[in-house]
Amino acid sequence: MKKIRINQYLAYGVIGILFGIVLTRIGFANYDELHKMFILTDLRMLYTFAGGVVLSMLMFFVLTKKIPAQHKIFQPGTIPGSMLFGFGWAICGACPSLVFVQLGQGAFGAVLTMIGMFFGVWTYRKTHGRYFGWDTGTCGV
Amino acid sequence: MTEYWPWWMGALGLGGISILYLLLVGRLLGVSGSWAKVVNWKENQAIDKSKQELVQDKDAMGSAFMAETLAEFGEGAIDEFKGEVDDANINQTVSASLDAPTPWTVHLVFLLSILVGSLLTAIYTGQFEFRLDLSNVHSQIFGTTWEVWVALLTGGMMVGFGTQMAGGCTSGHGLSGCARLIPVSILATVVFMVSAIFQSMLMEVMR
Repeated sequence: MKKIRINQYLAYGVIGILFGIVLTRIGFANYDELHKMFILTDLRMLYTFAGGVVLSMLMFFVLTKKIPAQHKIFQPGTIPGSMLFGFGWAICGACPSLVFVQLGQGAFGAVLTMIGMFFGVWTYRKTHGRYFGWDTGTCGV
Repeated sequence: MTEYWPWWMGALGLGGISILYLLLVGRLLGVSGSWAKVVNWKENQAIDKSKQELVQDKDAMGSAFMAETLAEFGEGAIDEFKGEVDDANINQTVSASLDAPTPWTVHLVFLLSILVGSLLTAIYTGQFEFRLDLSNVHSQIFGTTWEVWVALLTGGMMVGFGTQMAGGCTSGHGLSGCARLIPVSILATVVFMVSAIFQSMLMEVMR
């Protein structure tokens, strides 16, 4: 049991570090680059993203048996949630992983984004049970 | 100013990460899921605890159900039921639904190691630059440092709330979901990309 735990930390840690390196070298966390992508003047990162999806798709076909059953369903929050996320992403230039990359590059303002995200996730959990109550199928559960 | 990777190299990197995550961890990459785990750890712990109590009480609950069934339907119903279901199957279902997931500290390590990875890279390539705002363009759009901070806080809250509401973010819906051709994920990805493009265009016009 103990050994499994340590391996788990190692695996997640290694992937996290690699993920940080890749995101930094792509330039996803640089707001100037991101803004250029979103106003469609420089599509490099859009191609990067699409290429990553296609590559994963090909490998997922090979590894079909290894993929765990996932719980992603359409629910009333899908569209409003995605819209809110899209607007927010354009404003703060960060999706949940990019905020750490921004901070790693020295942009200290990302701390505010992080506080905001923490509060947003927490608020959703609190309001969801009370007011919405549908199945969200959040990933990684 | 260091050059960023060309698109194909970045694509190899992103694809490699999502596959490596699947191979090493056995799940699909989803950063907003990790966020949810870290932020809500205390509440999740309470839920797990009550689940555990339920498991320990399984026998008591089972015999209560059995007594109730006997009173209602008599012995015959039990024999009939036994023919249809075997015990092993039931036990498997129970243990699968109670399979303890990754502890939240592992997710915290994951998120923080993203920070470590990018910090090391930024220092190595000389991209590291300490600043209180986000970037030049961002400051041009939003103005003084205080205004930038308010924008970041608001934007962060929108992202946090929105990703939880949509059930995934760029990695969960975009990278993992689209790659598996899940219709909801494709819909969500299109919606958040179009929203972000719309919002950015608007900010560019008003800049």
